[in-house]
Amino acid sequence: MTNWIKELQSIVGDENVLISPDELLVYECDALTIHKRAPRAVIFPTTTEHVSRSVKVLGEQGIPFVARGAGTGLSGGALAEAGGVIIELSRMNRILEIDWENQRAIVQPGVINIALTQAVATRGYHFAPDPSSQPTCTIGGNVAENASGPHCLKYGVTTDHILGLEVVLPDGRIINLDRHGAVALGYDLVGLFVGSEGMFGIATRITVRLTRLPRAVKTLMADFPTVEAASQTVSDTIAAGVIPAAMEMMDQATVRAVEESVFASGLPIDAAAVLIIELDGLPVSVDYESSRVVHFCRANGARHVIVARSEAERERLWAGRKNAFGALGRINSDLMVQDAVIPRSRLPEVLPEIYRIAERYRLRMACVIHAGDGNLHPTLCFDGRDADELRRVDAACKEIMELCVRVGGTLTGEHGIGLDKVKYMSLIFSEADIEAMARVRAVFDPRGLCNPGKVLPVHRCKAF
Amino acid sequence: MIGSMTALNHMIDSEMDKLRACVHCGLCLNVCPTYIERGDENDSPRGRLYLMRAVAEGRLPPTTSAFARHIDLCLGCRACETACPAGVRYGRLWEAVRADIAARQQPVHLIGRFQRFVLNRLFVSRRRLRWLFAPARVLRRSVLLDRLARMPILPLRLKKVFMLLLATRPPRIERFRPSVQSDDVREDHDADRTTTFPTRQAVALFAGCVGRELFDHTNRATIKVLQEHGRRVINLKEHVCCGALHVHAGEVETARELARKNIDIFELSRGETLITNIAGCGAMLKEYGELLADDPDYRRRAQSFARRVRDISEYLMDIGFRPGPRPVNVKATYDAPCHLFHAQRVTKAPVELVRRLPGVTFIPLAEAHVCCGSAGIYNLIHPQLAGEILHRKLNNVRRTGADVLLTGNAGCLMTLQSGVIEMGWDIQVMHLIELIALTYE
Repeated sequence: MTNWIKELQSIVGDENVLISPDELLVYECDALTIHKRAPRAVIFPTTTEHVSRSVKVLGEQGIPFVARGAGTGLSGGALAEAGGVIIELSRMNRILEIDWENQRAIVQPGVINIALTQAVATRGYHFAPDPSSQPTCTIGGNVAENASGPHCLKYGVTTDHILGLEVVLPDGRIINLDRHGAVALGYDLVGLFVGSEGMFGIATRITVRLTRLPRAVKTLMADFPTVEAASQTVSDTIAAGVIPAAMEMMDQATVRAVEESVFASGLPIDAAAVLIIELDGLPVSVDYESSRVVHFCRANGARHVIVARSEAERERLWAGRKNAFGALGRINSDLMVQDAVIPRSRLPEVLPEIYRIAERYRLRMACVIHAGDGNLHPTLCFDGRDADELRRVDAACKEIMELCVRVGGTLTGEHGIGLDKVKYMSLIFSEADIEAMARVRAVFDPRGLCNPGKVLPVHRCKAF
Repeated sequence: MIGSMTALNHMIDSEMDKLRACVHCGLCLNVCPTYIERGDENDSPRGRLYLMRAVAEGRLPPTTSAFARHIDLCLGCRACETACPAGVRYGRLWEAVRADIAARQQPVHLIGRFQRFVLNRLFVSRRRLRWLFAPARVLRRSVLLDRLARMPILPLRLKKVFMLLLATRPPRIERFRPSVQSDDVREDHDADRTTTFPTRQAVALFAGCVGRELFDHTNRATIKVLQEHGRRVINLKEHVCCGALHVHAGEVETARELARKNIDIFELSRGETLITNIAGCGAMLKEYGELLADDPDYRRRAQSFARRVRDISEYLMDIGFRPGPRPVNVKATYDAPCHLFHAQRVTKAPVELVRRLPGVTFIPLAEAHVCCGSAGIYNLIHPQLAGEILHRKLNNVRRTGADVLLTGNAGCLMTLQSGVIEMGWDIQVMHLIELIALTYE
C-alpha cells in the first residue's frame, strides 16, 4: 500500500478510507450519470483538522482532490477528475450552533439542507434556499454550487444566506471569511467563495442566515392548453410587479411522469403545461396578489385555477414538483438535464423552439422551469446504451444552449458549470474573461489541485 | 458456481428495466438508515442499485466480497421505495440478489449458517416450532432470564438473544388499566355495538409463527377487538410461517412451499379476510401473488389470497373503528414498522386509531418511519450498526416524553423494548392493538 494512503488512514482512521475499486465505483458519478470518473480513493473526515491534514498529504504528492456531499449535483461537479481523491463530507453533519437572537446558525458542510429547516421550524424559521434535492443535498454542496430552488425567486439564492465560512485552503491552511449581515469587511470573499464550485477550497464551517417563515402562504395550481400561454402568464405576473415566492412550470411529459409516481398530486395529465404559484407574506398582501395572479392565469386561458385548501394539499403539490426530476426515470433510464437561464419575457418564443430542437433530433424531452427566474431545465430522456442516441443528445444540447445564449441568456442558473458545461463556456466568455477567472482561482489554489477540470476550459493544472 | 452466476445474470436481465429506472437522483439517501449512519454511498439504496447494475453489466464480478457485504448490510426496510420518484422496486431487486448470493456462497457468519438450518428445517413445521420455542417460553417466565440478559460475561450476541426474549413478555398493562368507576365511560356503548354490526362476518387471523409462540397476548387482544366489532374470528390453527424470513435470507423456494400451504389453509377456512397484526407477515402475505407468479397452479389463487390480506390497523379503519368506552390515561407515541409503512403503505391508519382512543394523548415521533434496526435477525448479525440505528430511534422516543411506545410488528416490538430495558427507562413498548383492547375492559 502506498505511503500517502497509509498517511490518510492514520489521519481519519483505516475504516474511513475506501480504496478498493469495487467500492469506488459508486463514487464515479453524481446525479448526472452521463459523466463518469472513478476516484482513486474516498476519505470520510469528521473534523476540520482531518480535512486540513488530508489535503496537505495529498498536496505533497500532487494528487488532486474534490469535496463531495450527497452527490446530487447535476453538472458532474463532484467527480474526481484526473485520478483524484474524493473528500466525502457526509459525516461532518452536525448543526454546531443556533443563534436565535441573531437569526443565524453555524453548521458543518454535510448537514442536509432540510435538516436545518426542520431543526429551526418549531421556532418559526427556515433556511430559505430550497433546491428540489433538499431532502438529500448538503449545505456544503449548496455553497459550492450557489444552489437555488423554487423559492429563490423571492428569497434569493444561497449566497444571499451565507454569512461566514471557515475554509480549508488547498494547501491545508485554515481561513475564516466573514460577512456581517450583507456587508463584508474588506473584500467580499464569502461572495467570491460561494459558487466557486469547490475549486477555491473546502468549506468546513458555514454560518447561515435563518429566515422567518411567512405569516400566510397561498399555493395555486393553474393548467394551460399551451406552453406559450403558461409562459405569458409568468411574464405578465412579474411585469405587473407581483413577486410570488415561487413560480414553477411543468410540461405535459413531466406532469405525466409525476402522476405515475408515488408523489402524484392530482395534476391534470392532459394539460400542455401546469404552473404552481406560491404567494406568501402578510395575509392581506397574499390575498391581493393571489387575486392578481388568478386574473393573469384566466386572461391567458388557464383551464383551471385551483388553490390548495390545506397544508397537506400544498405539500402534495410541492412533492410532485420537487420529485419531478427523478420521476422522469419513468420515461427513460438516462437523463440529460440543461440549466439555461433566459430573460423571462422570451419564454413564450424560446420554449416552443426548444421542443422543435428535441423533435428534430428524435429525442423525448420533458421540461421543468423555474419560470419566475427564466431558469429552464429541458431534460432529454434517452437510453445511454444507444451510441447514436447519445450523439443526438449531445448535438441537441449544443443547439439548445446556443439558442438560449442568442436570446440573451446564460449557461446555468443553479447546477453550475461543473464538468458538463465547460465546453459551452466560450459561448459566453471571451478568453480574457476566462483568464481573469483563472487568475482568481490561482490566488486560492495556485497548483490547481482542488477540483481540477471543472468550470475553466483551459486546464491550468498538470494532467496526471 | 458458473451456473448460479448465470442465474444472477438471468435475474438481473429480467429486472434490468427496474434497475435502469434509477436515475441516480439521490432522493433515497437520507431515508436509508444505513446511509444515515455511515454516510457511505455503498450503503445507500442508489449505491446498492449501482452495484447491482455494475454486476448486470459485467463491470463488477458478483463474487466480490464488497458486493455481498453491502447487499448484506441493507436492512430491507424499503424506505427508499416510498422516497423514489422513479418507482424503482428496490425490495424486489434486493431480495433477488440476496437469493442469488445465498445460493452461491456459504453464509459468511456462523449465525447465517445456523439461520439457514433453522429456516429450512424448523420454521417449516408448526410442531417443530412449538418445540423450538418451548424452552424460551419457560425461561421467559423465570427471573433467571433477567439475570442472564444482564450477565456481563456472556457474548454480546447471546446477551442480545436473552434481551430480545425478555422483551417478549406481555406488557405490564395493569398500571394503564382503566379504573372501573371512571365517570367518562360512555353508557350507551354496548347498545351501540349491537346495532352497528348486525352481521357476524367471519375473518381469519394469521397469528404468525413466532407470534403464536411468543405473542399470544397480542393475538388475544386482536381477537377481542375484532369481536368487539362484531366479527367472528377464525383462528387458523394450521397455518405455517409466512415465509418472509426465508425470502429475506434468500431461501425463496422454501418460502414458496410455505405460501402454498397457507393459501390452502386460508381457502379451507372460508374466512372473508385474512387479518394479521405483524407488519412483516402482512407485507409478505400481500406479495404472494408475485412470489408464486411462475406457478401455474397457484398463480391465480395467490393473487386472490393477497387481495384479502389486511393489517389489523387498516382493517379497523376500513370497517369503521369504534374504540371502547374506557379511557386509558397515557401519553403514547407510535413508531411505524417499515413493513407496514413502506412495504404495505399503511401510513395513516395506526396513528388515526391511536388518536381516537379515549384518554390517550398522542405525541408524534420524529423519524417515526425510519427503521429501528430490528429487520429480522439483522440485529444479531450486525449488532454494532443495528445498535447505532436503534440508539438514534430511542433518543427520538425519549424526546417525546411518552410513557407508552406503540408499534405494529413483533420484531420491532422486541428490539424497541429490549432497547428501552437496556437504557433502564420506564417506557412500555406494546402493540397498538393491546392498547386498543384495554379500552373495552
